[in-house]
Amino acid sequence: MGAVVVLAGEVRAEAVGKTIDETTLLLPTDVSADPGECVVLRGPNGSGKTTLLRIIGGLLVPSTGTATIGGREADERDRAVRAAVAALLGAPTTYRDLTLVDHLVLIDSTWGGDPATSDDRSLALLDQLGIAHLDDRFPHELSSGQEQLFRLALTFSRPASVVLLDEPEQRLDTAKRQVVAELIRERTTAGATVVMACHDPELTASLATRVVDVVPAR
Amino acid sequence: MSKRKRFAPDETPAVDRTDDDMQVVDYDDHDLLGQADWVIGGEAARKARQQGLYAGYVLFLGALVYGLPIVQTVFRTSDAGSLGQQLHSPVAVALLVVSVGALLGAVVFAGRFRGPVVPPMPWIDLVLIAPLDRALALRRWWRYAAVGGLFVGGLSGLTIGAGLAFAQVAGIVAIGVTTVAGAALGVLASRLWLWSQVRSWPGPDRGLSLLWRVPDALRELHSESLRAHSANTSTLTGSALTGNLRTARLALTRPVRHGRSARLRPGRPFGVLVRRDVIGLRRTPGAFLSGLGLALLGGAVVTWAFAQPAAPSIAATIGLLPLYLGFGAWSEGLRLQADNVGTPSLLGTGEVVEALAHLVVPTALTALVLTGWVAVTGLFGPVPVAAAVSLCLVLVLVVAGNVLAAFRGSPTFVLRPQMVVAWYAMPAVTVVLLGSVVAVLTKAASYTWLSVVSWLVYAVLLWAVSRVRRLTYLHRA
Repeated sequence: MGAVVVLAGEVRAEAVGKTIDETTLLLPTDVSADPGECVVLRGPNGSGKTTLLRIIGGLLVPSTGTATIGGREADERDRAVRAAVAALLGAPTTYRDLTLVDHLVLIDSTWGGDPATSDDRSLALLDQLGIAHLDDRFPHELSSGQEQLFRLALTFSRPASVVLLDEPEQRLDTAKRQVVAELIRERTTAGATVVMACHDPELTASLATRVVDVVPAR
Repeated sequence: MSKRKRFAPDETPAVDRTDDDMQVVDYDDHDLLGQADWVIGGEAARKARQQGLYAGYVLFLGALVYGLPIVQTVFRTSDAGSLGQQLHSPVAVALLVVSVGALLGAVVFAGRFRGPVVPPMPWIDLVLIAPLDRALALRRWWRYAAVGGLFVGGLSGLTIGAGLAFAQVAGIVAIGVTTVAGAALGVLASRLWLWSQVRSWPGPDRGLSLLWRVPDALRELHSESLRAHSANTSTLTGSALTGNLRTARLALTRPVRHGRSARLRPGRPFGVLVRRDVIGLRRTPGAFLSGLGLALLGGAVVTWAFAQPAAPSIAATIGLLPLYLGFGAWSEGLRLQADNVGTPSLLGTGEVVEALAHLVVPTALTALVLTGWVAVTGLFGPVPVAAAVSLCLVLVLVVAGNVLAAFRGSPTFVLRPQMVVAWYAMPAVTVVLLGSVVAVLTKAASYTWLSVVSWLVYAVLLWAVSRVRRLTYLHRA
């Protein structure tokens, strides 16, 4: 990958808004998160939480305001930003001919994980999410809840100083939501910054160091 | 079933009792189908069916105006005697058999998800649920396919035979022989297509005897299967018209279910991406074998076109397409990389490095196939160095074309069918046109111009790499 600047997990979004033609997707909103923090974005459907996460992740250019990661403009084309941000925003495209554990080994290897322990790390992550027994399944053989856990595993299997999650609790039962909460807590304890949209009040109460209310445009 | 009573749609069905005390109602299938036709389509439906005749007429004119001159050009050469000998050689016969086998295999493959009998959804939901004889209710769609197969096969045979005769490679008798053979092949293909459609759904009667028991084959078609095939047709048409090729591809492929015990071995990023493609091909033997068949066929024709003086240059044009498609069948990793653009990065490698890694397996396999054919050609006589070098250039071109195809993105223009077709065919057309120029210049020993064209080939490769970068970041707007 070449030399890449390691960015600290300081997330700053100042008055970022998004308007396409006459339609406002996101009113100007501020978000600030530091390493070790978990900031929860709260708001009704259509208020622009996903848009805000996409702007913070550098996938979308804001119409107003600025978004930065570790002091650099949030732009996915910047290798340093890509190296810093792990995001689960919608469904990632998976390889139809790789099993779950193969996917995690592939991601681990491309981020320079030690090959000798790659299998162990991958299986441990699947185990933590309660889907280790599905390690040799292909992605199309999973239920919708299992698929969500697998997507979370894909996101958490790569190193990142900033983790962006769009409703990580969706399609999960209460017990599995607690598992995900534990995983997020581990990441923040290790120094990562987590920004996530969430509709679960219990999860928000147990994880959020700060809550940002996203106001709908209309 | 001794006593039955017929009834028309405007009558109340009469119920009879048989000797074994079972109730039997007899329907006038023809009457009911006629009524259904009238209610659904009226006079317009009958006129629409007549459009099929017009399509046949246009196809015939097309074969006359374009097909015949093309075939003549294909076989026109300065040395008709040598070409005639080579066309009668065991290798040429074997290639012909393989081509026919591949064509029939493709028909069977297509029948799994889109058979010849695909009535509209309302017909399936509203008419087929009636207790009519299904063979009669579906006969119309089968006849379209059967007549189409016979006509297209016969016309293709006629065009090829006439082309061979006019180019003086074969006698006038060849016209009749190829026409009959083409028509027979067309009939066989349409029946195999139907048989494959029947086999796409579990049922008691799925044997090869259905090939000559067409009414029974039609009765074996399950309504859910017909619905699935009709839905697949809509998906494919919609995907093709909107340029959404991932949806079309996933509709065509079976879910992977085997080879799960093999594990992806961890390692350095580039190596693990290459191993990903190897394990992917092990788990999708259909993709591997179809790629192998196409590459072997295309590689044989292209090598012959470059290495044999008697071979017409245009043979390279014909061989390049299967070679390009064979490479594409082995390039699933590359296409999946392109599918993933616009989503947050999961892999730690850069986009160009990832694309290069995904090119290793298909490039190595294609190079192996071409090297094999050059070695085979070498057994019959010396292979000119210029031909070998030009084949390397062809390989570069095929690589570039497949990168362009994988990273073609979505159409950015107003969607019209002909523009979508042009957009879709652009990488293949680039490979075929430029490869044909390379073949002509190689055979003419025009090395100055060949060096110019080789720069064009490298320019296409650079264009492909720039497409990788451009598409990867295009989504950010």
